[in-house]
Amino acid sequence: MAAGKNLSLFKDKPVKVLLAKPGIDGHDRGMFVLAKAFRDAGMDVLYAGLLPTPEEVVDTAINEDVDVIALSLLNGAHLVVFKKVADLMKKRGIDDIAIVGGGTIPDADKPKLEKLGITGNYGPGTPLKTIIEHIIMRAEEARSRKLGIA
Amino acid sequence: MTQTPEEIADGVLAGDIRSISRAITLVEDHNSLITGRKIIKSIYGMTGRAGIIGITGPPGVGKSTIIGNLASMLKGTGKKVAVIAIDASSPFTNGSFLGNRIRMQDKLYRDGIYMRSLSSRGSSGGLSRSTWDAVRVLDAAGYDRIIVETVGAGQADLDILGMAHTIAVALAPGLGDEIQAIKAGLMEIASIFIINKMDRDGAFMAMKDIEDSLALTPQNEWKIPVVGLNSINLDGYEELLAAIEKHLAYVRKSPLSAKKRFFNEVKAALMAESELRINALTESSMSGLTDLESDVRKKVDPYTVAEEISKSVLGDIA
Repeated sequence: MAAGKNLSLFKDKPVKVLLAKPGIDGHDRGMFVLAKAFRDAGMDVLYAGLLPTPEEVVDTAINEDVDVIALSLLNGAHLVVFKKVADLMKKRGIDDIAIVGGGTIPDADKPKLEKLGITGNYGPGTPLKTIIEHIIMRAEEARSRKLGIA
Repeated sequence: MTQTPEEIADGVLAGDIRSISRAITLVEDHNSLITGRKIIKSIYGMTGRAGIIGITGPPGVGKSTIIGNLASMLKGTGKKVAVIAIDASSPFTNGSFLGNRIRMQDKLYRDGIYMRSLSSRGSSGGLSRSTWDAVRVLDAAGYDRIIVETVGAGQADLDILGMAHTIAVALAPGLGDEIQAIKAGLMEIASIFIINKMDRDGAFMAMKDIEDSLALTPQNEWKIPVVGLNSINLDGYEELLAAIEKHLAYVRKSPLSAKKRFFNEVKAALMAESELRINALTESSMSGLTDLESDVRKKVDPYTVAEEISKSVLGDIA
């Protein structure tokens, strides 16, 4: 489903997105830029704070029933840590919360992340519009599943 | 995984976190209004057991930090605790940054406290439209204490009044003198006053201003306490916890309160219901209630027409 086809889905209850940097990475300036941009794009934005564990991220996502978890790492640990988040979600049988990634991710790693269901994986310099459109697209899938209209 | 409303309601009653989360999503979303209502109807019988604690006050006084510490301590006394926090949504884009969670994040996961952030969705009054339903879901799920944090409140954001059993109004030093303390609105709804940031200059003056103003007010059986907190070293928290529990017990004794709360609940439901129905009105469906054509011809004013219509539905007010 392309972004924007079913935006009435979010008219009453906006896209809810959790921004998180799981693992040892305190570079949160980019997260604030994204948080503000997502808010201005009409989303409900949560930020997991500094240095949450993958378990905390998954716990928060479930408690808040977000549509999308947006993970970011600049420390090179994405293949381990993003995977941990995806594995925990799978273990708990959750298929109606989408996961997207971003940060300094080498091109060679992107297919590996996609295989885990972690899409986007945008790097520095990506226009905010591209990121926002991708999140809305993934949120549409997730929300439709939540509402049982997939 | 899509579940039926019945399955979700059963999950809520069993205390299953995912069902609780999903139920709150469904009652929050207009797209799933019918499903959400179904869930509320089937769990409502199990509500009414939780002590509902409202924490309100201006932005930046430390409401979220207080709630984190308080929730942790309540949990320590063996209570099952949940938190609902409402943050403001943008009047321009409808978006929001739900930042309350960050202030209590470390305690939530460690102590297994359920916490949900809601955006106000353009509601004024300090709560969101679906806050009542979210509280009902948590109440039915067996939480003993539900802490509701309002949007950083102005002087007249008083929605919490009908919902919470106990309302703590949180303030900090430097917000105003004794003139502020005797103003109407927010200052009248407190069952407990909190002065946070007791380590700051002027904190004892702030406490004194509130105490002085309370001394001027004729009080009922419940003497409103003023509790000073230092959220860095947790000074004063034992006192706050004791005051909250004492007030909850005090409210529970009153036979009037249950009926009054239900009155508030029905009133809120009626408002939601009438808003829905009014929004759904079209030219042709309104014609069933009044003869629009003849109204136009006779130049009847809109208030007269609206009064006639609501009288025929709700009866005479006076």
